[in-house]
Amino acid sequence: MDNRIAICDPDEDEVNNELFGDIEPVTWVNDDTNYDLDEINMAFHRVDSHQIIYEEKKKKCKLIGKYVMGDLLGEGSYGKVKEMLDSDTLCRRAVKILKKKKLRRIPNGEINVQREIQLLRTLKHKNVIDLVDVLYNDEKEKMYLVMEFCVGGLQDMLESMPHKKFPLWQGHGYFCQLIDGLEYLHSKGIVHKDIKPGNLLLTLDGTLKISDLGVAEALDMFAKDDTCTTGQGSPAFQPPEIANGCETFAGFKVDIWSSGVTLYNITTGEYPFEGDNIYKLYENIGKGEYTIPAEVEDPLKSLLQGMLQKDIDKRFTLQQIRQHPWTICRPPKTLEEVPIPPLRGDEWHTMTVLPYLMEHHYGVDNDPTYYTEHQLNEERKLQEMDRTSGEQKNACNSHYNKHITNHGKRRWRKPTSCISVKKFPSCKPS
Amino acid sequence: MPLFGKSQKSPAEVVKALKEAVNALERGDKKVEKAQEDVSKNLVHIKNMLYGTAESEPQADIVVAQLAQELYNSNLLLLLVQNLGRIDFEGKKDVAQVFNNILRRQIGTRSPTVEYICTKPEILFTLMSGYEHQDIALNCGTMLRECARYEALAKIMIYSDDFYNFFRYVEVSTFDIASDAFSTFKELLTRHKILSAEFLEVNYDKVFSHYQRLLNSENYVTRRQSLKLLGELLLDRHNFSVMTRYISNPDNLKLMMNMLKEKSRNIQFEAFHVFKVFVANPNKPKPILDILLRNQEKLIEFLTRFHTDRSEDEQFNDEKAYLIKQIKELKSVHEN
Repeated sequence: MDNRIAICDPDEDEVNNELFGDIEPVTWVNDDTNYDLDEINMAFHRVDSHQIIYEEKKKKCKLIGKYVMGDLLGEGSYGKVKEMLDSDTLCRRAVKILKKKKLRRIPNGEINVQREIQLLRTLKHKNVIDLVDVLYNDEKEKMYLVMEFCVGGLQDMLESMPHKKFPLWQGHGYFCQLIDGLEYLHSKGIVHKDIKPGNLLLTLDGTLKISDLGVAEALDMFAKDDTCTTGQGSPAFQPPEIANGCETFAGFKVDIWSSGVTLYNITTGEYPFEGDNIYKLYENIGKGEYTIPAEVEDPLKSLLQGMLQKDIDKRFTLQQIRQHPWTICRPPKTLEEVPIPPLRGDEWHTMTVLPYLMEHHYGVDNDPTYYTEHQLNEERKLQEMDRTSGEQKNACNSHYNKHITNHGKRRWRKPTSCISVKKFPSCKPS
Repeated sequence: MPLFGKSQKSPAEVVKALKEAVNALERGDKKVEKAQEDVSKNLVHIKNMLYGTAESEPQADIVVAQLAQELYNSNLLLLLVQNLGRIDFEGKKDVAQVFNNILRRQIGTRSPTVEYICTKPEILFTLMSGYEHQDIALNCGTMLRECARYEALAKIMIYSDDFYNFFRYVEVSTFDIASDAFSTFKELLTRHKILSAEFLEVNYDKVFSHYQRLLNSENYVTRRQSLKLLGELLLDRHNFSVMTRYISNPDNLKLMMNMLKEKSRNIQFEAFHVFKVFVANPNKPKPILDILLRNQEKLIEFLTRFHTDRSEDEQFNDEKAYLIKQIKELKSVHEN
């Protein structure tokens, strides 16, 4: 039953021509004048970008256990993270899909995942990511870690901003939550070992969740102190004792240091230690010498200095951090809040499972949407233009931050087809 | 007084009026109803200054600062808390709201109300005794938990003799009051890790002799809640020395072994999480080792059949297997 009529929109071409009107024809710079470019092109079959037609991917509803699969949220070395919906409770969830094949290639991959699962199962705190469920598919050699739903991480937020930092009041809020979560982990005898903005996620209501306990270590219940021997965290966040290759070190103080680097990073947009390669970096960290940007004022400055103390006995404890004036006193809400970057143009982070459910329950199979390569290119060009013009403005004035993100959003539209497909209201036989 | 809208009384005037009304209420003259009405009216007035209303914003900082200062100087916070039972239902809630708002007030790094209450600890003791009175217990509970968030105030409370009344409050027959008291009790013992670790260490004997009574309570909820909290306290690394002390006492082990056999499966399960610490201890004192050895066979048999339906819970099964292995390998010190 085919009751579709394809209509080409005549205006579309005109618009495009106008767009190209400003652009000068490209002249190729070629050192060999004998070479005729057109001749080479003869060897390839040229296809006009108008003629490459894509069909929009069907939203095919897929169930894993009782969970309905949604769109991709992110991707890591281990595999993908997707959104899911618990069909019993209607809770939004995120699922980390781990492929055995990929895990084997990562050093300690499988062991780290097993440890993470075991640790997360015992933990329950507002500021630590909650592992809801673990599912296995032996046939596909996949593992599904169902977690609390988070909309994004601090790292993505920082990267979305030209200055790569938060206003003080916003950073303060995250820092206090980090300290709460860390205190809980430490009270359970767990050293996280990889505290950094990339491992701090946020839920829709702005609650910070410490995540990724892949390299964390649980101390023996009867261990007298917090001595650790291995560290596999991210280099830029490692303390001098690890950079200098000490055989044993105090675990809790490692997390304090990394939290210090994190605080430094989210409030200044810079790192206290840098290096062209890991050796240079570790050499610099090992010396423990760093400068705090001049614009950082005193309560924060002394907190950073207390946390980034080379001497672990002088380095602050969580208790000292809690009682520090900067922690106690919330900075005034002056600058605009840095938002969580939109996911594929959606600043509200609406549930991506819904279209799959709609398609499953109300969908008609024979109305695919088409768009061409040309349109995609145009869209990319527009976005690129927005971004570059945005960056230029940003460089002049940071107050424009908010406007620019809005600006970018408005321009983004979903690729629509020049072949608009009209469908007669179909009468389904009941 | 203006015909429409609220009168623009100054903080000093409102506080004075409220104080007079509360005093009248306390004296209990013939004009009680009038006093009652005045108290409620002025409380609403103060509440609106702090929180604002649907039509108006909260008052400017300077007005709130004046209000706070008047409240300290007039000693009104204590007076309100002491007469809470005499204030009407809505008024009680307003007192709690005003109290909590003033408590949270911060000037830079200072919390002036916290400092003020430190000099007037009667306020805290009066609030704690609020659990004795059904009609104000829950209002006092909300204020107490707000106080417990501040280390200085929590310290005053746990180091006071009145703290031990909580062991009674958590067992009262009215369920909502008992559970409210329990959450305040738990907050006091878990919120400030270093503070409570020190407190438990210094007052170990007194606290745990009281705690023992909770674990032996007739009341199922009390037994279960207190056992769960005990597990949390002992497994918190901040309380390491308290834990080692607790698991060296054979009486505690006996109690846990009995709780493993309780009728309630939930209590059995919670008891398991405390019992495992005794067994996992690499340096078991002789009396503990002796008890375990005497019951070696029985324990192995018991644990093998213990909650076998929890096949989903890997963590639990791993721990159980570990305990069984440990108990099997137990040897008397004299044998070697």
